[in-house]
Amino acid sequence: MPPIVERRGKMKKTLSIALILALLVICVTAFTACTGNDELTILFEQDDDLKNTYSVIAVNPDAPFDTTNEVNINKEGADAFINWLSLKSTRELIASFGVESHGEKLFYLQEDATVKDVEIPQATSDTKEIALSTTTSVNDSGLMAFILPAFEKTYGYKVNVASAGTGAAIKAAEMGNADLILVHSKASEEAFVNAGFARKVAGFSAERISFMYNYFVLVGPKADPANVEQSANIKEAFAAIADAKLTFISRGDKSGTHNAEVKLWDKELGITNDVSALPEEIKDWYISAGQGMGACLNMAAEKQGYILSDKATFLTYKKNLAK
Amino acid sequence: MGTTLTSAFKLIFSGSDMLTEIVLTTLKMAFSSSLLALLLGVPIGLLIAISNFKGKDAVVMLLRTFMGFPPVVAGIVIYVLFSGTGPFGKLGLIYSVELMIIAQVVLITPIVAGMTESSASAICQRFLDTAKGLKLGYGKVLALTVIECRYQLIAVYLFAFARAMSEVGAVQIVGGNILHKTRVMTTTIALNYNTGEFSYAVALGVVLMLIVVAVNLIASLLQKGTNK
Repeated sequence: MPPIVERRGKMKKTLSIALILALLVICVTAFTACTGNDELTILFEQDDDLKNTYSVIAVNPDAPFDTTNEVNINKEGADAFINWLSLKSTRELIASFGVESHGEKLFYLQEDATVKDVEIPQATSDTKEIALSTTTSVNDSGLMAFILPAFEKTYGYKVNVASAGTGAAIKAAEMGNADLILVHSKASEEAFVNAGFARKVAGFSAERISFMYNYFVLVGPKADPANVEQSANIKEAFAAIADAKLTFISRGDKSGTHNAEVKLWDKELGITNDVSALPEEIKDWYISAGQGMGACLNMAAEKQGYILSDKATFLTYKKNLAK
Repeated sequence: MGTTLTSAFKLIFSGSDMLTEIVLTTLKMAFSSSLLALLLGVPIGLLIAISNFKGKDAVVMLLRTFMGFPPVVAGIVIYVLFSGTGPFGKLGLIYSVELMIIAQVVLITPIVAGMTESSASAICQRFLDTAKGLKLGYGKVLALTVIECRYQLIAVYLFAFARAMSEVGAVQIVGGNILHKTRVMTTTIALNYNTGEFSYAVALGVVLMLIVVAVNLIASLLQKGTNK
């Protein structure tokens, strides 16, 4: 056994090396966190083409799942949550989201939505856990954290929110991992319904229950080199970006935002949500990131590019950055 | 940079419930999965190291290949298997901490086995010759090898633990990053990048490093204790 003094010396050495390593990592992380992020700003909004409608759809327990197993779907729980969303008091809660925290409304109520006045059953041990597959715009903006406590406390349910882009959120439901979905891409939702994955909830006229909306916004650098602020409408703004070949960050993940974005370009550019078919000549300025909204906003700030975002996520993101 | 760091430390010392919850879930996941991987991987590694059989080289190569198994791939495979529509869907494990532990065990066990095999082979050769000379049974040789290689095994465990703590690709997919349920430190950091909450992410990074440093310190004390 080495003498005790030598052992102490070795200990000290190990300790200091460990501490130095830890400090180094902390500094690098902090430094990376603080570089970049030149401010982005909303350059164009409130165009009818930018309306972004959110729908909730209950999953059909007898859907044509790709399996011979029986898939467990919490039908009662999904019904309770969907009915709760259509209560007058819940609608008021949704409409008030953002007023206090962001200084403006982040979601608007769909006026022709079904408003119900029904008794919501209390949760039982079988119906307690509700699996909700939703999009990042609903979850990361803080809407779910804002409204869910009221539902969970009053009726005893526990809503497990898994969030991903609309494409992935729908896919999760098709794999039997969700009792209901809350997404924002009409074409993908209709495909989901037509394939038999959806279930009609009693008292609603269709499987697809559109209950709220907000607007996409065109975000970009304050300097606005394409001068999109002067555009007459959103398609003209997109054309200006394409003409000048200015950097545009696309989600590229078949999310609701991505699906909305590809519709705003001039058809001749050949941009669709099939990223493998993107034409070669746009690759210098059209960047298909394949990431979530926040990651893409980071990229847009870094590259001083333009980007389409839902307003709620952008405002939340901006507010967090300023913290 | 200063403000981010300051708010990071403020968060750590504020004792926020959310931070505590996330750290506890992370520790539960990391300790369970690294210990399970140790229990599975060490015997496999030692058995390969102390036995001689035809095709041993191929087995070792296979093991070393699996050490580099991409976590995201493991995540997707396990997600599909345990989805409601998958063969193990009935277990209802999707988006749970238990499934995250399973994913981690799948990823870490080959690493533990591979590292155990290479350190045992290198260190214990002479000792093995003696054991053979004494005509000791498999069980005894295995137990003696564990004792003989304890210093190396602690290092192997540390690696497994660090890997379990810092992995994000697989746990994000199979756990779903669900608040109050499967949200761990790495998935929170990834989420914070998405929501622009960089100071929270840095705070979590600091806590994560501190935990790893603490476990390392305990382990190095244990290694001193093994008197090697």
